[in-house]
Amino acid sequence: MSAMERLVQEFSRLPGVGPKTAVRMVFHLLKRPPEEALRLARALEDLTRKIHPCRECGNFTEDELCSVCGDPSRDRGLLCVVEEAFDVGAIERAGRYRGVYHVLGGRLSPLDGIGPEQLGVERLLARVVGGGIREVILATNASVEGEATAVFLEGLLRPLGPRVTRLARGIPVGSDLEYVDGSTIAEALEGRREM
Amino acid sequence: MHLSRLEVRNFRNLAAQVLEFPPGGVALLGENAQGKSNLLEAIYYLETLRSFRGAREDHLVAFGKSFFRVEGEVQGEEGEGAVVAVAFDRALRKKRLTLGGREPQRLGDGLGTLGAVVFAPSDVGLVSDGPGVRRRFLDLVLSLNRPGYLQALQAYRQILGQRNAALRMTGGGASVEAWDSGLVRAGARVVLERFRWVERWGERYSRYFFRISGGEAGRIRYHSSFPLAGAVSEEEVAEGFSAALGGTRHREARLGSTLVGPHRDDLVLTVEEGERERELRDYGSGGQKRTAALALRLVEAATIREARQREPVVLLDDVFAELDAARSERVLALMEEEEAGQVILSAPKESDIRLRRHTLVRWRIRAGRVET
Ligand SMILES: [Zn+2]
Repeated sequence: MSAMERLVQEFSRLPGVGPKTAVRMVFHLLKRPPEEALRLARALEDLTRKIHPCRECGNFTEDELCSVCGDPSRDRGLLCVVEEAFDVGAIERAGRYRGVYHVLGGRLSPLDGIGPEQLGVERLLARVVGGGIREVILATNASVEGEATAVFLEGLLRPLGPRVTRLARGIPVGSDLEYVDGSTIAEALEGRREM
Repeated sequence: MHLSRLEVRNFRNLAAQVLEFPPGGVALLGENAQGKSNLLEAIYYLETLRSFRGAREDHLVAFGKSFFRVEGEVQGEEGEGAVVAVAFDRALRKKRLTLGGREPQRLGDGLGTLGAVVFAPSDVGLVSDGPGVRRRFLDLVLSLNRPGYLQALQAYRQILGQRNAALRMTGGGASVEAWDSGLVRAGARVVLERFRWVERWGERYSRYFFRISGGEAGRIRYHSSFPLAGAVSEEEVAEGFSAALGGTRHREARLGSTLVGPHRDDLVLTVEEGERERELRDYGSGGQKRTAALALRLVEAATIREARQREPVVLLDDVFAELDAARSERVLALMEEEEAGQVILSAPKESDIRLRRHTLVRWRIRAGRVET
Protein backbone atom coordinates (compact mmCIF):
# COMPACT_ATOMS: atom_id res chain seq x y z
CA MET A 1 0.00 0.00 0.00
CA SER A 2 1.31 3.46 -0.88
CA ALA A 3 1.88 6.16 1.73
CA MET A 4 -1.10 8.04 0.35
CA GLU A 5 -3.40 5.07 0.56
CA ARG A 6 -2.27 4.40 4.09
CA LEU A 7 -3.15 7.90 5.23
CA VAL A 8 -6.50 7.79 3.41
CA GLN A 9 -7.24 4.60 5.27
CA GLU A 10 -6.26 6.16 8.60
CA PHE A 11 -8.39 9.26 8.01
CA SER A 12 -11.42 7.26 6.97
CA ARG A 13 -11.36 5.52 10.35
CA LEU A 14 -12.17 8.85 12.03
CA PRO A 15 -15.79 9.48 12.98
CA GLY A 16 -17.72 11.44 10.38
CA VAL A 17 -15.03 11.04 7.73
CA GLY A 18 -15.99 9.03 4.65
CA PRO A 19 -13.54 7.74 2.05
CA LYS A 20 -14.17 10.75 -0.20
CA THR A 21 -13.40 13.27 2.52
CA ALA A 22 -10.32 11.27 3.51
CA VAL A 23 -8.96 11.52 -0.03
CA ARG A 24 -9.64 15.28 -0.07
CA MET A 25 -7.80 15.69 3.23
CA VAL A 26 -4.75 13.84 1.95
CA PHE A 27 -4.59 15.88 -1.27
CA HIS A 28 -4.99 19.03 0.77
CA LEU A 29 -2.01 18.11 2.94
CA LEU A 30 0.10 17.30 -0.11
CA LYS A 31 -0.61 20.70 -1.65
CA ARG A 32 0.32 22.65 1.48
CA PRO A 33 3.89 23.27 2.66
CA PRO A 34 5.34 20.14 4.34
CA GLU A 35 5.61 21.94 7.72
CA GLU A 36 1.84 21.87 8.00
CA ALA A 37 1.63 18.12 7.71
CA LEU A 38 4.53 17.72 10.12
CA ARG A 39 2.78 19.99 12.59
CA LEU A 40 -0.22 17.67 12.41
CA ALA A 41 2.02 14.66 12.90
CA ARG A 42 3.62 16.25 15.96
CA ALA A 43 0.24 17.20 17.39
CA LEU A 44 -0.87 13.59 17.03
CA GLU A 45 2.28 12.35 18.66
CA ASP A 46 1.88 14.78 21.55
CA LEU A 47 -1.71 13.66 21.95
CA THR A 48 -0.76 10.04 22.43
CA ARG A 49 2.26 10.84 24.61
CA LYS A 50 0.86 13.51 26.91
CA ILE A 51 -2.84 12.82 27.26
CA HIS A 52 -3.99 10.08 29.59
CA PRO A 53 -6.97 9.39 31.82
CA CYS A 54 -7.25 11.33 35.07
CA ARG A 55 -6.23 9.09 37.99
CA GLU A 56 -9.38 10.03 39.86
CA CYS A 57 -12.21 10.19 37.33
CA GLY A 58 -11.04 8.92 33.94
CA ASN A 59 -11.43 12.29 32.20
CA PHE A 60 -8.61 13.14 29.77
CA THR A 61 -5.76 15.23 31.14
CA GLU A 62 -2.08 16.03 30.70
CA ASP A 63 -1.54 16.02 34.46
CA GLU A 64 -2.15 13.47 37.10
CA LEU A 65 -5.55 14.98 37.91
CA CYS A 66 -7.90 16.61 35.40
CA SER A 67 -8.91 20.26 35.72
CA VAL A 68 -12.12 19.28 37.53
CA CYS A 69 -10.55 16.91 40.07
CA GLY A 70 -7.70 19.38 40.59
CA ASP A 71 -10.12 22.19 41.47
CA PRO A 72 -10.47 22.43 45.28
CA SER A 73 -13.75 24.36 44.98
CA ARG A 74 -15.61 21.42 43.38
CA ASP A 75 -18.11 19.54 45.53
CA ARG A 76 -16.69 16.06 46.06
CA GLY A 77 -19.93 14.80 47.56
CA LEU A 78 -21.65 15.01 44.20
CA LEU A 79 -20.59 12.50 41.55
CA CYS A 80 -21.79 12.60 37.96
CA VAL A 81 -21.34 9.37 35.96
CA VAL A 82 -20.93 9.79 32.20
CA GLU A 83 -20.18 7.42 29.33
CA GLU A 84 -17.33 9.26 27.65
CA ALA A 85 -14.80 11.95 28.48
CA PHE A 86 -16.35 14.28 25.93
CA ASP A 87 -19.60 14.18 27.94
CA VAL A 88 -17.66 15.92 30.73
CA GLY A 89 -16.95 18.71 28.26
CA ALA A 90 -20.64 18.96 27.31
CA ILE A 91 -21.76 19.26 30.95
CA GLU A 92 -18.94 21.65 31.83
CA ARG A 93 -19.93 23.91 28.93
CA ALA A 94 -23.45 24.07 30.36
CA GLY A 95 -21.71 25.76 33.32
CA ARG A 96 -24.13 24.73 36.07
CA TYR A 97 -22.57 21.65 37.60
CA ARG A 98 -20.26 22.01 40.63
CA GLY A 99 -19.59 18.37 41.52
CA VAL A 100 -17.02 15.90 40.15
CA TYR A 101 -17.22 13.17 37.50
CA HIS A 102 -16.71 9.52 36.82
CA VAL A 103 -16.04 8.51 33.21
CA LEU A 104 -17.10 4.93 32.43
CA GLY A 105 -15.46 4.88 29.02
CA GLY A 106 -18.51 3.31 27.38
CA ARG A 107 -21.87 1.79 28.13
CA LEU A 108 -23.21 -1.71 28.56
CA SER A 109 -23.44 -3.28 25.12
CA PRO A 110 -23.18 -7.06 25.26
CA LEU A 111 -23.57 -7.15 21.47
CA ASP A 112 -20.17 -5.46 21.31
CA GLY A 113 -18.79 -7.60 24.10
CA ILE A 114 -19.06 -4.81 26.69
CA GLY A 115 -20.28 -6.06 30.04
CA PRO A 116 -19.78 -4.70 33.58
CA GLU A 117 -16.17 -5.89 33.66
CA GLN A 118 -15.19 -4.08 30.48
CA LEU A 119 -16.71 -0.89 31.90
CA GLY A 120 -14.59 -0.99 35.02
CA VAL A 121 -17.64 -0.75 37.22
CA GLU A 122 -15.47 -1.89 40.15
CA ARG A 123 -13.58 1.41 40.00
CA LEU A 124 -16.80 3.37 40.36
CA LEU A 125 -17.97 1.23 43.27
CA ALA A 126 -14.61 1.63 45.00
CA ARG A 127 -14.96 5.42 44.77
CA VAL A 128 -18.40 5.34 46.32
CA VAL A 129 -17.37 2.85 49.01
CA GLY A 130 -14.47 5.21 49.73
CA GLY A 131 -17.07 7.47 51.30
CA GLY A 132 -18.13 11.07 51.30
CA ILE A 133 -20.42 10.82 48.28
CA ARG A 134 -23.98 12.01 48.99
CA GLU A 135 -25.39 11.70 45.52
CA VAL A 136 -24.54 9.91 42.28
CA ILE A 137 -26.08 11.40 39.14
CA LEU A 138 -26.31 8.86 36.34
CA ALA A 139 -25.82 10.92 33.18
CA THR A 140 -25.46 8.10 30.67
CA ASN A 141 -27.02 8.79 27.29
CA ALA A 142 -30.75 8.58 26.63
CA SER A 143 -30.23 5.58 24.33
CA VAL A 144 -31.44 2.06 25.14
CA GLU A 145 -27.87 1.15 26.14
CA GLY A 146 -27.48 4.30 28.26
CA GLU A 147 -30.75 3.53 30.06
CA ALA A 148 -29.77 -0.08 30.75
CA THR A 149 -26.39 1.06 32.03
CA ALA A 150 -28.11 3.49 34.41
CA VAL A 151 -30.49 0.78 35.65
CA PHE A 152 -27.60 -1.59 36.19
CA LEU A 153 -25.49 0.96 38.10
CA GLU A 154 -28.42 2.02 40.21
CA GLY A 155 -28.84 -1.55 41.38
CA LEU A 156 -25.22 -1.64 42.52
CA LEU A 157 -25.00 1.86 43.98
CA ARG A 158 -28.19 2.18 45.98
CA PRO A 159 -27.22 -0.44 48.61
CA LEU A 160 -24.03 1.54 49.19
CA GLY A 161 -25.96 4.48 50.60
CA PRO A 162 -25.88 7.55 48.35
CA ARG A 163 -28.88 9.11 46.67
CA VAL A 164 -29.00 7.89 43.06
CA THR A 165 -30.53 10.19 40.47
CA ARG A 166 -30.96 10.28 36.73
CA LEU A 167 -31.00 13.28 34.40
CA ALA A 168 -34.51 14.63 33.80
CA ARG A 169 -36.41 13.75 30.68
CA GLY A 170 -35.52 16.94 28.76
CA ILE A 171 -32.79 15.09 26.86
CA PRO A 172 -34.36 13.78 23.63
CA VAL A 173 -34.61 9.99 23.60
CA GLY A 174 -31.79 8.38 21.69
CA SER A 175 -29.52 11.40 21.71
CA ASP A 176 -26.00 11.62 23.04
CA LEU A 177 -25.15 14.35 25.52
CA GLU A 178 -22.50 15.47 23.09
CA TYR A 179 -25.14 16.89 20.75
CA VAL A 180 -27.46 18.39 23.33
CA ASP A 181 -27.24 22.14 23.89
CA GLY A 182 -26.01 23.59 27.16
CA SER A 183 -29.27 25.00 28.49
CA THR A 184 -31.04 21.66 27.95
CA ILE A 185 -28.29 19.90 29.88
CA ALA A 186 -28.52 22.48 32.65
CA GLU A 187 -32.30 21.94 32.89
CA ALA A 188 -31.92 18.16 32.85
CA LEU A 189 -29.44 18.41 35.71
CA GLU A 190 -31.70 20.77 37.63
CA GLY A 191 -34.69 18.48 37.21
CA ARG A 192 -32.88 15.20 37.94
CA ARG A 193 -35.01 12.65 39.69
CA GLU A 194 -34.58 9.81 42.10
CA MET A 195 -34.30 6.49 40.27
CA MET B 1 -54.05 10.62 -3.40
CA HIS B 2 -52.56 8.83 -6.34
CA LEU B 3 -49.19 8.13 -7.86
CA SER B 4 -48.88 10.65 -10.68
CA ARG B 5 -45.32 10.12 -11.83
CA LEU B 6 -42.62 7.49 -11.46
CA GLU B 7 -39.02 7.69 -12.50
CA VAL B 8 -36.78 4.60 -12.37
CA ARG B 9 -33.09 4.12 -13.03
CA ASN B 10 -31.13 0.87 -12.85
CA PHE B 11 -33.91 -0.92 -10.99
CA ARG B 12 -33.79 -4.64 -11.89
CA ASN B 13 -34.49 -5.03 -15.62
CA LEU B 14 -36.46 -1.80 -15.93
CA ALA B 15 -35.27 0.65 -18.56
CA ALA B 16 -34.58 4.17 -17.36
CA GLN B 17 -37.92 5.90 -17.88
CA VAL B 18 -40.40 8.41 -16.59
CA LEU B 19 -44.03 7.31 -16.40
CA GLU B 20 -47.07 9.53 -15.89
CA PHE B 21 -49.86 7.60 -14.19
CA PRO B 22 -53.54 8.45 -14.64
CA PRO B 23 -55.44 9.00 -11.34
CA GLY B 24 -57.65 5.95 -11.99
CA GLY B 25 -54.69 3.67 -12.58
CA VAL B 26 -53.42 1.38 -15.30
CA ALA B 27 -53.43 -2.22 -16.40
CA LEU B 28 -49.93 -3.34 -17.19
CA LEU B 29 -49.83 -6.09 -19.80
CA GLY B 30 -46.79 -8.16 -20.52
CA GLU B 31 -45.43 -11.66 -20.92
CA ASN B 32 -43.55 -13.26 -18.07
CA ALA B 33 -40.15 -11.85 -17.15
CA GLN B 34 -40.72 -8.59 -19.04
CA GLY B 35 -40.75 -6.53 -15.84
CA LYS B 36 -44.41 -6.26 -14.74
CA SER B 37 -43.72 -7.29 -11.18
CA ASN B 38 -40.50 -5.29 -11.13
CA LEU B 39 -42.43 -2.13 -11.85
CA LEU B 40 -44.89 -2.83 -9.03
CA GLU B 41 -41.94 -3.65 -6.81
CA ALA B 42 -40.33 -0.29 -7.64
CA ILE B 43 -43.58 1.54 -6.83
CA TYR B 44 -44.06 -0.25 -3.53
CA TYR B 45 -40.41 0.30 -2.68
CA LEU B 46 -41.31 3.98 -2.28
CA GLU B 47 -43.88 3.03 0.35
CA THR B 48 -41.78 0.76 2.56
CA LEU B 49 -38.17 1.25 1.40
CA ARG B 50 -37.87 -2.46 0.89
CA SER B 51 -38.82 -5.06 -1.68
CA PHE B 52 -42.23 -6.68 -1.20
CA ARG B 53 -40.69 -9.81 -2.68
CA GLY B 54 -38.14 -9.92 0.11
CA ALA B 55 -35.20 -9.19 -2.18
CA ARG B 56 -32.05 -7.61 -0.84
CA GLU B 57 -31.18 -4.16 -2.14
CA ASP B 58 -28.09 -5.26 -4.04
CA HIS B 59 -30.30 -7.65 -5.99
CA LEU B 60 -32.52 -4.76 -7.02
CA VAL B 61 -29.64 -2.94 -8.68
CA ALA B 62 -29.60 -3.68 -12.44
CA PHE B 63 -26.87 -6.03 -13.56
CA GLY B 64 -23.54 -4.25 -13.94
CA LYS B 65 -24.76 -0.99 -12.35
CA SER B 66 -23.57 0.57 -9.13
CA PHE B 67 -26.86 2.03 -7.86
CA PHE B 68 -30.60 2.25 -8.40
CA ARG B 69 -32.92 5.17 -7.95
CA VAL B 70 -36.70 5.39 -7.79
CA GLU B 71 -38.61 8.64 -7.58
CA GLY B 72 -42.34 9.06 -7.29
CA GLU B 73 -44.71 11.96 -7.18
CA VAL B 74 -47.90 11.63 -5.22
CA GLN B 75 -50.80 13.95 -5.83
CA GLY B 76 -53.75 14.74 -3.60
CA GLU B 77 -57.27 15.77 -4.58
CA GLU B 78 -56.49 19.47 -4.24
CA GLY B 79 -53.42 19.16 -6.42
CA GLU B 80 -51.02 19.18 -3.47
CA GLY B 81 -48.08 16.94 -4.21
CA ALA B 82 -45.17 15.20 -2.57
CA VAL B 83 -42.03 13.89 -4.19
CA VAL B 84 -40.30 10.95 -2.61
CA ALA B 85 -37.06 9.48 -3.92
CA VAL B 86 -34.87 6.59 -2.80
CA ALA B 87 -31.44 5.71 -4.06
CA PHE B 88 -29.31 2.76 -3.11
CA ASP B 89 -25.57 2.59 -3.68
CA ARG B 90 -24.24 -0.91 -3.99
CA ALA B 91 -20.64 -0.12 -3.01
CA LEU B 92 -21.55 2.00 0.03
CA ARG B 93 -24.48 -0.32 0.87
CA LYS B 94 -26.38 2.83 1.67
CA LYS B 95 -29.94 3.90 1.13
CA ARG B 96 -30.64 7.56 0.73
CA LEU B 97 -34.14 8.92 0.96
CA THR B 98 -35.38 12.38 0.13
CA LEU B 99 -38.81 13.89 0.71
CA GLY B 100 -39.43 16.96 -1.39
CA GLY B 101 -35.70 17.08 -2.06
CA ARG B 102 -34.76 17.02 1.62
CA GLU B 103 -33.32 14.19 3.63
CA PRO B 104 -35.57 13.52 6.65
CA GLN B 105 -33.93 13.01 10.05
CA ARG B 106 -34.73 9.34 10.13
CA LEU B 107 -35.25 6.92 7.27
CA GLY B 108 -38.49 5.87 8.99
CA ASP B 109 -39.95 9.35 8.45
CA GLY B 110 -40.12 8.55 4.76
CA LEU B 111 -42.31 5.47 5.17
CA GLY B 112 -45.84 5.37 3.83
CA THR B 113 -45.82 8.45 1.59
CA LEU B 114 -47.78 6.63 -1.07
CA GLY B 115 -50.39 4.89 1.06
CA ALA B 116 -50.30 1.72 -1.01
CA VAL B 117 -51.11 -1.93 -0.51
CA VAL B 118 -49.82 -4.72 -2.74
CA PHE B 119 -51.61 -8.00 -3.51
CA ALA B 120 -49.31 -10.72 -4.83
CA PRO B 121 -49.58 -14.48 -5.39
CA SER B 122 -46.85 -14.97 -2.77
CA ASP B 123 -49.26 -13.57 -0.16
CA VAL B 124 -50.41 -17.10 0.54
CA GLY B 125 -47.17 -17.34 2.54
CA LEU B 126 -48.80 -15.00 5.06
CA VAL B 127 -51.00 -17.93 6.01
CA SER B 128 -48.92 -21.01 5.26
CA ASP B 129 -45.48 -19.87 6.48
CA GLY B 130 -44.19 -19.55 10.02
CA PRO B 131 -45.19 -16.91 12.61
CA GLY B 132 -42.33 -14.59 11.61
CA VAL B 133 -44.07 -13.74 8.34
CA ARG B 134 -47.25 -12.74 10.13
CA ARG B 135 -45.34 -10.68 12.68
CA ARG B 136 -43.64 -8.88 9.81
CA PHE B 137 -47.05 -8.24 8.26
CA LEU B 138 -48.36 -6.72 11.48
CA ASP B 139 -45.19 -4.72 11.99
CA LEU B 140 -45.34 -3.28 8.50
CA VAL B 141 -49.03 -2.34 8.67
CA LEU B 142 -48.60 -0.74 12.08
CA SER B 143 -45.33 1.01 11.24
CA LEU B 144 -47.02 2.61 8.27
CA ASN B 145 -50.20 3.55 10.03
CA ARG B 146 -49.59 4.05 13.73
CA PRO B 147 -47.39 6.93 14.86
CA GLY B 148 -44.69 5.78 17.25
CA TYR B 149 -45.02 2.08 16.45
CA LEU B 150 -41.86 1.85 14.37
CA GLN B 151 -39.80 3.57 17.06
CA ALA B 152 -41.13 1.22 19.73
CA LEU B 153 -40.42 -1.77 17.49
CA GLN B 154 -36.88 -0.63 16.71
CA ALA B 155 -36.15 0.01 20.36
CA TYR B 156 -37.57 -3.41 21.22
CA ARG B 157 -35.40 -5.20 18.67
CA GLN B 158 -32.29 -3.36 19.81
CA ILE B 159 -32.90 -4.13 23.47
CA LEU B 160 -33.80 -7.75 22.70
CA GLY B 161 -30.52 -8.19 20.83
CA GLN B 162 -28.57 -6.73 23.75
CA ARG B 163 -30.45 -8.76 26.31
CA ASN B 164 -29.88 -12.01 24.43
CA ALA B 165 -26.18 -11.17 24.12
CA ALA B 166 -26.10 -10.48 27.87
CA LEU B 167 -27.76 -13.85 28.50
CA ARG B 168 -25.09 -15.59 26.46
CA MET B 169 -22.37 -13.54 28.15
CA THR B 170 -23.37 -14.07 31.76
CA GLY B 171 -26.30 -16.49 31.80
CA GLY B 172 -28.43 -14.15 33.90
CA GLY B 173 -28.35 -11.84 36.88
CA ALA B 174 -28.22 -8.08 37.18
CA SER B 175 -26.49 -7.43 33.87
CA VAL B 176 -29.34 -9.22 32.07
CA GLU B 177 -32.11 -7.75 34.21
CA ALA B 178 -30.81 -4.25 33.53
CA TRP B 179 -32.41 -4.58 30.08
CA ASP B 180 -35.78 -5.75 31.40
CA SER B 181 -37.47 -2.43 32.07
CA GLY B 182 -36.62 -1.13 28.60
CA LEU B 183 -37.64 -4.41 27.00
CA VAL B 184 -40.95 -4.43 28.84
CA ARG B 185 -41.73 -0.80 28.08
CA ALA B 186 -41.08 -1.05 24.33
CA GLY B 187 -42.51 -4.57 24.10
CA ALA B 188 -45.76 -3.67 25.85
CA ARG B 189 -46.32 -0.89 23.35
CA VAL B 190 -45.72 -3.26 20.45
CA VAL B 191 -47.99 -5.97 21.83
CA LEU B 192 -50.77 -3.57 22.71
CA GLU B 193 -50.74 -1.95 19.26
CA ARG B 194 -50.88 -5.34 17.55
CA PHE B 195 -53.59 -6.59 19.89
CA ARG B 196 -55.69 -3.49 19.34
CA TRP B 197 -55.31 -3.76 15.59
CA VAL B 198 -56.69 -7.29 15.70
CA GLU B 199 -59.53 -6.14 17.97
CA ARG B 200 -60.33 -3.26 15.65
CA TRP B 201 -60.27 -5.27 12.42
CA GLY B 202 -61.14 -8.82 13.41
CA GLU B 203 -64.78 -8.53 12.50
CA ARG B 204 -63.98 -6.89 9.19
CA TYR B 205 -61.54 -9.67 8.41
CA SER B 206 -64.24 -12.25 9.11
CA ARG B 207 -66.64 -10.41 6.83
CA TYR B 208 -64.13 -10.40 3.97
CA PHE B 209 -63.34 -14.05 4.57
CA PHE B 210 -67.03 -14.92 4.53
CA ARG B 211 -67.62 -13.06 1.25
CA ILE B 212 -64.60 -14.41 -0.63
CA SER B 213 -64.96 -17.99 0.55
CA GLY B 214 -68.65 -18.02 -0.18
CA GLY B 215 -69.91 -18.45 3.37
CA GLU B 216 -67.15 -19.81 5.59
CA ALA B 217 -66.44 -18.46 9.05
CA GLY B 218 -62.84 -17.33 9.28
CA ARG B 219 -61.36 -15.70 12.34
CA ILE B 220 -58.20 -13.89 13.32
CA ARG B 221 -56.73 -13.82 16.82
CA TYR B 222 -53.59 -12.37 18.37
CA HIS B 223 -51.64 -15.05 20.15
CA SER B 224 -49.38 -13.54 22.77
CA SER B 225 -46.50 -15.41 24.39
CA PHE B 226 -47.78 -14.21 27.77
CA PRO B 227 -51.37 -13.95 29.07
CA LEU B 228 -53.13 -10.80 27.90
CA ALA B 229 -56.54 -11.56 29.35
CA GLY B 230 -58.25 -8.35 30.31
CA ALA B 231 -55.17 -6.23 29.73
CA VAL B 232 -56.31 -3.00 28.15
CA SER B 233 -53.67 -0.46 29.09
CA GLU B 234 -49.98 -0.36 28.37
CA GLU B 235 -49.29 -0.69 32.11
CA GLU B 236 -51.33 -3.88 32.35
CA VAL B 237 -49.63 -5.41 29.33
CA ALA B 238 -46.26 -4.39 30.80
CA GLU B 239 -47.15 -6.11 34.08
CA GLY B 240 -48.05 -9.31 32.28
CA PHE B 241 -44.85 -9.20 30.23
CA SER B 242 -42.75 -8.52 33.30
CA ALA B 243 -44.29 -11.42 35.22
CA ALA B 244 -43.73 -13.74 32.26
CA LEU B 245 -40.08 -12.69 32.01
CA GLY B 246 -39.68 -13.47 35.68
CA GLY B 247 -41.16 -16.91 35.13
CA THR B 248 -38.73 -17.90 32.39
CA ARG B 249 -35.43 -16.88 33.98
CA HIS B 250 -34.14 -20.40 34.41
CA ARG B 251 -35.02 -21.59 30.95
CA GLU B 252 -33.75 -18.49 29.17
CA ALA B 253 -30.44 -18.69 31.00
CA ARG B 254 -30.05 -22.25 29.78
CA LEU B 255 -31.06 -21.43 26.21
CA GLY B 256 -29.35 -18.05 25.98
CA SER B 257 -32.32 -16.23 24.55
CA THR B 258 -35.39 -14.31 25.68
CA LEU B 259 -38.38 -16.64 25.54
CA VAL B 260 -41.35 -14.31 25.93
CA GLY B 261 -42.30 -11.09 24.21
CA PRO B 262 -43.72 -9.83 20.92
CA HIS B 263 -40.91 -11.55 19.00
CA ARG B 264 -42.55 -14.86 19.93
CA ASP B 265 -46.14 -13.91 19.18
CA ASP B 266 -48.33 -14.92 16.27
CA LEU B 267 -51.44 -13.97 14.39
CA VAL B 268 -53.59 -17.07 14.39
CA LEU B 269 -55.94 -17.57 11.44
CA THR B 270 -58.69 -20.13 11.76
CA VAL B 271 -61.75 -21.43 9.97
CA GLU B 272 -64.80 -23.03 11.49
CA GLU B 273 -65.51 -26.54 10.32
CA GLY B 274 -68.59 -28.02 11.88
CA GLU B 275 -68.06 -27.71 15.61
CA ARG B 276 -64.33 -27.30 15.32
CA GLU B 277 -62.13 -24.31 14.77
CA ARG B 278 -59.14 -25.30 12.69
CA GLU B 279 -55.92 -23.45 12.12
CA LEU B 280 -55.54 -22.58 8.47
CA ARG B 281 -51.79 -22.88 8.54
CA ASP B 282 -51.95 -26.59 9.25
CA TYR B 283 -55.39 -27.64 8.07
CA GLY B 284 -56.54 -25.07 5.53
CA SER B 285 -57.06 -25.89 1.87
CA GLY B 286 -55.18 -23.92 -0.77
CA GLY B 287 -58.33 -21.93 -1.49
CA GLN B 288 -58.91 -21.14 2.19
CA LYS B 289 -55.33 -19.97 2.62
CA ARG B 290 -55.56 -17.70 -0.40
CA THR B 291 -58.85 -16.36 0.90
CA ALA B 292 -57.32 -15.52 4.27
CA ALA B 293 -54.35 -13.80 2.59
CA LEU B 294 -56.68 -11.68 0.44
CA ALA B 295 -58.78 -10.79 3.47
CA LEU B 296 -55.63 -9.68 5.33
CA ARG B 297 -54.62 -7.44 2.44
CA LEU B 298 -58.11 -5.96 2.23
CA VAL B 299 -57.94 -5.20 5.94
CA GLU B 300 -54.56 -3.61 5.35
CA ALA B 301 -56.17 -1.38 2.72
CA ALA B 302 -58.97 -0.52 5.16
CA THR B 303 -56.37 0.36 7.81
CA ILE B 304 -54.72 2.82 5.43
CA ARG B 305 -58.12 4.29 4.55
CA GLU B 306 -58.94 4.87 8.21
CA ALA B 307 -55.52 6.02 9.40
CA ARG B 308 -54.85 8.43 6.59
CA GLN B 309 -58.36 9.38 5.55
CA ARG B 310 -57.77 8.61 1.93
CA GLU B 311 -58.06 5.84 -0.60
CA PRO B 312 -55.06 3.52 -0.76
CA VAL B 313 -53.24 2.94 -4.02
CA VAL B 314 -53.92 -0.71 -4.83
CA LEU B 315 -51.21 -2.72 -6.57
CA LEU B 316 -52.28 -6.09 -7.94
CA ASP B 317 -49.49 -8.36 -9.12
CA ASP B 318 -51.18 -10.95 -11.33
CA VAL B 319 -53.10 -11.94 -8.26
CA PHE B 320 -55.98 -13.97 -9.68
CA ALA B 321 -53.78 -16.40 -11.55
CA GLU B 322 -53.87 -19.01 -8.82
CA LEU B 323 -57.35 -18.42 -7.45
CA ASP B 324 -60.29 -20.59 -8.50
CA ALA B 325 -62.95 -18.99 -10.67
CA ALA B 326 -65.65 -18.65 -8.01
CA ARG B 327 -63.34 -17.03 -5.47
CA SER B 328 -61.91 -14.61 -8.01
CA GLU B 329 -65.40 -13.51 -9.02
CA ARG B 330 -66.28 -12.84 -5.39
CA VAL B 331 -63.08 -11.00 -4.50
CA LEU B 332 -63.39 -8.91 -7.67
CA ALA B 333 -66.93 -7.92 -6.75
CA LEU B 334 -65.70 -7.03 -3.28
CA MET B 335 -62.86 -4.94 -4.63
CA GLU B 336 -65.11 -3.11 -7.07
CA GLU B 337 -67.19 -2.09 -4.04
CA GLU B 338 -64.38 -1.29 -1.64
CA GLU B 339 -61.51 0.12 -3.59
CA ALA B 340 -62.27 3.53 -5.03
CA GLY B 341 -58.73 4.79 -5.46
CA GLN B 342 -55.98 4.24 -7.99
CA VAL B 343 -55.45 0.66 -9.14
CA ILE B 344 -52.26 -0.49 -10.81
CA LEU B 345 -52.49 -4.09 -11.89
CA SER B 346 -50.32 -6.43 -13.87
CA ALA B 347 -51.61 -9.26 -16.06
CA PRO B 348 -50.14 -11.50 -18.76
CA LYS B 349 -52.96 -10.85 -21.24
CA GLU B 350 -56.06 -8.76 -21.86
CA SER B 351 -58.46 -11.45 -20.72
CA ASP B 352 -56.74 -11.52 -17.31
CA ILE B 353 -57.76 -7.93 -16.63
CA ARG B 354 -60.75 -8.53 -14.42
CA LEU B 355 -60.92 -5.40 -12.32
CA ARG B 356 -62.20 -2.14 -13.84
CA ARG B 357 -62.03 -3.79 -17.22
CA HIS B 358 -63.76 -0.89 -18.92
CA THR B 359 -61.98 2.03 -17.36
CA LEU B 360 -58.31 1.15 -16.80
CA VAL B 361 -55.80 2.55 -19.27
CA ARG B 362 -53.73 -0.22 -20.91
CA TRP B 363 -49.94 -0.14 -20.95
CA ARG B 364 -47.67 -2.81 -22.38
CA ILE B 365 -44.30 -3.73 -20.95
CA ARG B 366 -41.57 -5.47 -22.94
CA ALA B 367 -37.96 -6.05 -21.91
CA GLY B 368 -38.33 -3.60 -19.06
CA ARG B 369 -39.71 -0.77 -21.16
CA VAL B 370 -43.28 0.47 -20.78
CA GLU B 371 -45.20 1.50 -23.86
CA THR B 372 -47.97 3.83 -22.82
ZN1 LIG C 1 -10.57 13.90 37.05
